[in-house]
Amino acid sequence: MSELLFFAICFIVMALCLLIRVIIGPSVADRAVAADSIDLLADMALILFALYSGRSVFIDIAFITAILGFIGSTIVARYLEGKL
Amino acid sequence: MKKASISSIISTALLCFVFWLLITGELAALIKGEPSVQVLAAGAVVSILVACFSARFFIHERAFYLLNPKRFFTLLFYAVIIFPIELIKANLDVAFRALNPKLPIKPGIVKVPVDLKSEYAQSMLANSITLTPGTITVDMAEEDGQLNYYIHWIDVKSQEPKEAGDAIKGTLENWVRRIWE
Amino acid sequence: MRIAIDILIGISVFFAFAGTVGLLRMPDAFSRMQSSTNIATMGVLGVIIGGVLYAIFILHDSAMAIKLAAMGVFYIITNPIAGHAIAKGAYKHGVRPKDPMCVDKYGEDLVDE
Repeated sequence: MSELLFFAICFIVMALCLLIRVIIGPSVADRAVAADSIDLLADMALILFALYSGRSVFIDIAFITAILGFIGSTIVARYLEGKL
Repeated sequence: MKKASISSIISTALLCFVFWLLITGELAALIKGEPSVQVLAAGAVVSILVACFSARFFIHERAFYLLNPKRFFTLLFYAVIIFPIELIKANLDVAFRALNPKLPIKPGIVKVPVDLKSEYAQSMLANSITLTPGTITVDMAEEDGQLNYYIHWIDVKSQEPKEAGDAIKGTLENWVRRIWE
Repeated sequence: MRIAIDILIGISVFFAFAGTVGLLRMPDAFSRMQSSTNIATMGVLGVIIGGVLYAIFILHDSAMAIKLAAMGVFYIITNPIAGHAIAKGAYKHGVRPKDPMCVDKYGEDLVDE
């Protein structure tokens, strides 16, 4: 049981490390990519926690986060292209 | 903007309805034999409404193309066996490049010719290339009747369009052509 | 079955770790995007496949397994679109690597237009 939590903590630690890239990233694209990856890693941690606790509510939350992350990065890309 | 035809609306509605079944967990109830009629009816109404508005963005040609079982199983075979092998090879390559202390990368943008007619096939090949780590499709443009992809490659082995195309696409292009043409 | 699931999730953690290290170490923006694809493919798929197996064989909850599989398909469809859009947008916006790339056909052709 508890190794799922261990893996989830690994994902969260990696997401926290990526915050460094969000802070120092020289361009907007770096920040957008790093934020997208943080989104994915947080999703993975949520899925693992859903499996650990046996409640599928967390999978719904992860799904919504994934959809919002996709829309967010696409809109950032639109803005960078100058069409927004 | 093209107008939406009836068949494109129907196929988009089918896709939306399948997605609704998947994420509401209704498919599991259907398998057990106790479907809730209210959920199914709400899904049907919502998916038809969504399809009326968004079909013209999704389907431009041949709406029921994939309902042919032979093409569908070719697509399934591509998605389950052919593509994951390429994916795992490229993943290992990029992962060890990133973990290597010397960081052996040589990035560049190369131009690759592609001979695919259908819009679906073009976008599917571009997405397959982007999904493989190590290569990202930046843009596609037509020049003298020849379609070209501009691909950012993390380790440029060859600058000639033909050789670069063979190294990047591999067998993927033939499989995509077999599915869509 | 437990061991197989743990191995799948462990593989996924390894690839996510490699992607994170790459994202922090790579010298320019486009190479960082390549490493982020590493997280988005194997890092996601390992957890999804392991999770489906866990939901079927240990939790006996088929609704959860179907939802997880749908989520995996959604990731696989949307990730290349976002990556492609960000790469093109960054290039048009003027993001260039610090050391010039060894070949840049897109820049040459963009000037002509």
